[in-house]
Order: sequence, then C-alpha cells, then structure tokens
Amino acid sequence: MSSTTKKSSFIKSIFQAPPFRWTKKLLGKIGFSGRGLVIAVPTIWLLVFFLIPFLVIAKISLSEALIARPPYSSLLEWDSDGLLQISLNFGNYYYLIDDALYIIAYLNSFKIATISTIFCLLIGYPIAYYIAKSPENKRNILLMLIILPFWTSFLLRVYSWIGFFKANGIINAALLNLGIISEPLIMLQTDFAVYVGIVYTYLPFMILPLYSNLVKLDDILLEASADLGGRPMISFFKITLPLSVPGIIAGSMLVLIPAVGEFVIPALLGGPDTLMIGRVLWDEFFSNRDWPVASAVSIIMLVVLILPVMWIQNKQNSNLGES
Amino acid sequence: MTTDEQNIITVQPWHDPAAKPFIRLKNITKKFGSFTAVDNVSLDIYEGELFCLLGGSGCGKSMLLRMLSGFEQPTSGSIEIDGQDQTGVPPYLRETNMMFQSYALFPHMNVEKNIAYPLVRAGYKKVEINQRVEEIIDMVQLNQFAKRKPSQLSGGQQQRVALARSLIKRPKLLLLDEPLGALDKKLREETQFELMKIQKQLGITFLVVTHDQEEAMTLATRIGVMTAGQIKQIGGPQEVYEYPNSKFVSEFIGSVNLFEGRVTEDTENHVLISSKQAGCDIFVGHGVSCAPNQKLWIAIRPEKMNISANRLEGKNNIINAIIDEVAYMGNMTVYHVKLNSGMIVKITSPNFSRQNSEIFQEGKTVYINWADNAGVVVPS
Repeated sequence: MSSTTKKSSFIKSIFQAPPFRWTKKLLGKIGFSGRGLVIAVPTIWLLVFFLIPFLVIAKISLSEALIARPPYSSLLEWDSDGLLQISLNFGNYYYLIDDALYIIAYLNSFKIATISTIFCLLIGYPIAYYIAKSPENKRNILLMLIILPFWTSFLLRVYSWIGFFKANGIINAALLNLGIISEPLIMLQTDFAVYVGIVYTYLPFMILPLYSNLVKLDDILLEASADLGGRPMISFFKITLPLSVPGIIAGSMLVLIPAVGEFVIPALLGGPDTLMIGRVLWDEFFSNRDWPVASAVSIIMLVVLILPVMWIQNKQNSNLGES
Repeated sequence: MTTDEQNIITVQPWHDPAAKPFIRLKNITKKFGSFTAVDNVSLDIYEGELFCLLGGSGCGKSMLLRMLSGFEQPTSGSIEIDGQDQTGVPPYLRETNMMFQSYALFPHMNVEKNIAYPLVRAGYKKVEINQRVEEIIDMVQLNQFAKRKPSQLSGGQQQRVALARSLIKRPKLLLLDEPLGALDKKLREETQFELMKIQKQLGITFLVVTHDQEEAMTLATRIGVMTAGQIKQIGGPQEVYEYPNSKFVSEFIGSVNLFEGRVTEDTENHVLISSKQAGCDIFVGHGVSCAPNQKLWIAIRPEKMNISANRLEGKNNIINAIIDEVAYMGNMTVYHVKLNSGMIVKITSPNFSRQNSEIFQEGKTVYINWADNAGVVVPS
C-alpha cells in the first residue's frame, strides 16, 4: 500500500474520532456546516476589528466634544420624562468643510500621495519588469531583496533617513567633502524628505503586484508583435503596457491609500509646513482632545478613499465580465 | 553514402529546371552549447510553394522556423529571402510573417485591431488599413466577429484571426507553426483545404511545420522529412511515400514492412535478396546499385501486398503465413500475419464488396505475395 493512501486514511480516522464527530454534530444542530465555519472566521474578524470600530468612530463623529471622560457626549440620553432622546450633531462635519485648514490638509495629502505614487510607478515598473524577465532561478532572489527591508522595523527605516538628510548627515558630508557645495543643504523637514520617505517605504507595494502581473505576460505576444513589424519600444507601449494595467492599478492603490493617511513619515521627515491629514488627525485627538472632530476627519478620509476604489473595482469587474 | 553527402541535399529545381529558389538556406547549423538543434541543413524553396517540414518533436523543425523569422540566429550558415541575405536582420524588419502554434493573438485588442496591427505598425493610411482589414475579414469569414475579443472566439475562429493577421501584410514568406495542431480532427480536415485555397489565391510562399504526416501529405507541394536536426529527404508527397530513401523516411511516413537481407544475385534488370525474416529470396524487378553481399532493407507498403488462400502461380515473392490479427476498418481490412521467422507483416486489403466472405479469419494459413516492383530497396 502506498504511503499516500495510508496518510489519507490516517487523516480520515482523525475526522471520524468521537470528539470530532460530536463537535460536528453539535455545531450542525445549531445550524453550522463546515463551510459556514470556514467563512465565519474572516467574517467575525472583519466584524469585530473593522465594522464595529468603524461604527464606534462614526458614532463619536456625531457627538459633541465635552471636557469629561470619555471626552464626548452620548448620542442616547434619557430625558426627564423618561423618553429616550437621540441627539445627532452634524456640526463636526460642517466644521470640517467650513475651516479651510482641513480641506487644504486633505488636498495636500492627496497631492503628496499622488506624486509619490507616480514616482513609485516610474521607479517600480522597470524593477518589476526586470525581475519578471529574469531567469526563473534568479527571480526568487530578486524578490527576496525587494521584501528584505520588511525585516527591519518600518519606524527604524524612516528614522535612518534622518541620518542621511540632516545638516551634518551623510549626504551633506559627502557633498561638502567633494567640494560640490559650500554650505549644507536643508533637506530634513522639507516636502522633499517626505516624498523620499514615502516612495522608499511604499515601493515594494508597487513592485509586487506589478511583478505578479508582468510575470504572467506571455513572451510569445512580444514575439508576435516583433514578427508583425513592431520595434521593441512600440511593442512595449502597445502590448506590455496595456496588458499590465491591472497591475498598475493594484500597485497604485496599494501605495496611494496608505500614503494619504500617512502619519509617521511626515512627522519624522516633514517640516511644520507639511500639512497632511494624518497629522491633523493626531493633533485633533491628542493635542485638542476633540474626539468628535477627529472622528469626522477619519470618516471623511475613508469615504473619499473608498469611493474611487469601489468605482475602479466595479469597472474592472465589468471588464472581466465582458471578456 | 557519407552523412555529409546526405546533409547537403541539393534539391532538383522544382518543375522548371531554370527556376531560381526564392528562399535559400545554406548550411544552417544551430548549436546550444554541445547540443546541435539544426545540423548543416541546406534547403531551397521556390516562390508560391507550400513546403512542409515534417518531423517529430525536437527534430529542429521549429528552430528552422524561428531562424527564418529572425527570433534566432544560426550558429553558422546563411538565409536568403528573395535574393537578400537575412543575417542580422531583426524580426520586425523581415518580410516574413509567422502564424504561431498558440496563435499569440493580442488579448486586449478585438479581431479588427489584431488584424490591423501589422499595417498600423507599417504606417499605412487609415483608409487603406480599413479596406484591407475588411477584405481579409471577408476572406476568412469573420465578419460577425470583427468587434469581438480573442477570448470570445472559438479555437477555429481564433485560428482564422491568426491566419488573417499573418497574411494581411502579404509577406514574402508565411511561416506556419503547427497551424492546425489545436483544432479537432473534423475542423482540421476542413481547414486544410481552406488553407490550400487561400495559399493558391494569394500566391504567397508557405512554409508549414508539422508533426502530422497526413497533414503534410495533404497540404504540401513538397515535404522535407526531418530528424535529429537534419533533413533526410525532400520530395513531393508521392515521392517521399513511394520512393523513401531510407528506413527512417519509409517508417515515418505511412506504415511499412521492412525486410532485412543480403544481395545474393545482382544483375542489370533484377536483384535477388536473401532475407531470413522473409524466409525466402526476395526478387526485385529492377537494377539496384549495390555491392555483392551488401546488407539492405526492402520496404513494402501494406497495401501493396496481397493475401490469398491458395498459393498463386509464379515463383517470386510468395510466403506462407498465418493470420495473427484482423481489424475491419470499413473501407479496408488490416491483417497482421505471422511469418515462419516470427516476423509480423501488416497487410491492408480494400473491401471491394459488401460480403465479408473474402475476409480471412484469425489463425488461418494463407499465402502473401507482392509484385516484383512493389518494394523499395533502402540502403540504411
């Protein structure tokens, strides 16, 4: 008898063991099938760690700030006549629209995130392309190198950029010693440093989806293009690029979305002028202790980010349905 | 015959002795490290021909195609198309087009755009592109599918798109890599004739690579039989079938009975070959260039042998045998008969009438015989 059949009969015997059978029976009685249980795990996870916190934040955003603990008013209150009173305060949202600071912070966050995404794409595409075209045994090593930075804490990696950018940092020291500049360049606490930090941090998130798209591209299509008169550059723009659009979208989303809400990078590398929504959020929560406004800020950010993503997904799905 | 002499197969100018070859491969060799994929192949193809390279997988036929299209450079030797040396010419500048085995249609473009691609690349005017695309879509009967993406088409329709796309630029040479390999049997047979029709209509030189000998026989004006990187024989379908020049070719194309033997009598108009396998002397009714006592093989096609219940009159090429297996195929019956030497001989016999009384049963003792000129003597 082969070892595989032995193994499978061993596994079978585990599933048929009394404790297992009884649990299954019991769960079946209260309406759980095996399939239901498998789906239940991620569903419960999302419910507990995503939907409920979201509802809590949404609730806080509709309350009023109080100097109390917790620092916001309750939505439900029993009034003196014993009636349940619901008071919703939309003032926080109105306040966000009214005060230019928030709109500027939102727009600036989008600007920084968008420009960073474009740079990630410009840098990441050739890297992903190169890895995808490398011989198979080399690809894994190259991918490993892309993932390697994740083995160090994100915070430490951003911190290390301070060492490069500060007035007496590595870059200035090198340029001064070479005599290219006579005075140290101011790089730290500028938008430039923020861009470098975001592009550096999020580059792997651009490369990986692009790679997984490009590696599937059949080389024979490029041969066909060449055979039919397409020079290599033309073949790239007419065949490779259009076929990698799904990878470009996936990578861009993975960079753009977290970059908009980025807090650590602008806090460490940016200056006082670098206004990003993540920082505004921090200030509202911890400096102003205005939890309702802070919650409204994060709810709006979520909505503004989720709508375009849903639109793109919807479009991609309908494209898939077509073909 | 030395292998060198075999490799440099000088093709007789086809039909017209004064004809100039259109495609000329001279001593092409392609090596990958120590492995020789194509071994000193020389081949001339004439304008308007439908030439088939026939061989098993790994025989180097596809490599020849890739060298003609410019994807691979030969290690040595030269390729000429219409008098122009192709050394160092990249694929996108060659006047050849290829129809890929997997079709290689661009998945993000619809049928029209796929077919127009070569013309757009060549910078034709929009009006002319539209007109030519329309013409060729008409020819391959894809009118209702012009706006569809390749993934929305059946295998046969995809094959037509691939054909149209590779033909639209009117290449000097169209290379077809197993063009019908992905189609089912019935569609393949229909498409074979369609392909021949289109080829005649446009007058473009076709070079087809296939492993299917039936396909090669149907399509080709001439066939080149390849094995181990060499072309063993070049000739028309009838020539390679009726006059194979080697054991390999006789066995590769169709089925054959091969008797090993030695020359015992060698005259100008007949040869006698003693064969232990046949259990008798085989009489060949024409002169053969051979040395006395030389080892030879006689290749006889199954349909050129007869079975009879009683010994026929005459003395040559009659062997006693026992029917081993019978397979009734409808149009003919295939017999496997066992000789005294133990050799199994395949014989096919056409079913002329509807009565099956003429079909011999298993285990019956019969006589097999063949005409003096039924067999071909091959030296190796």
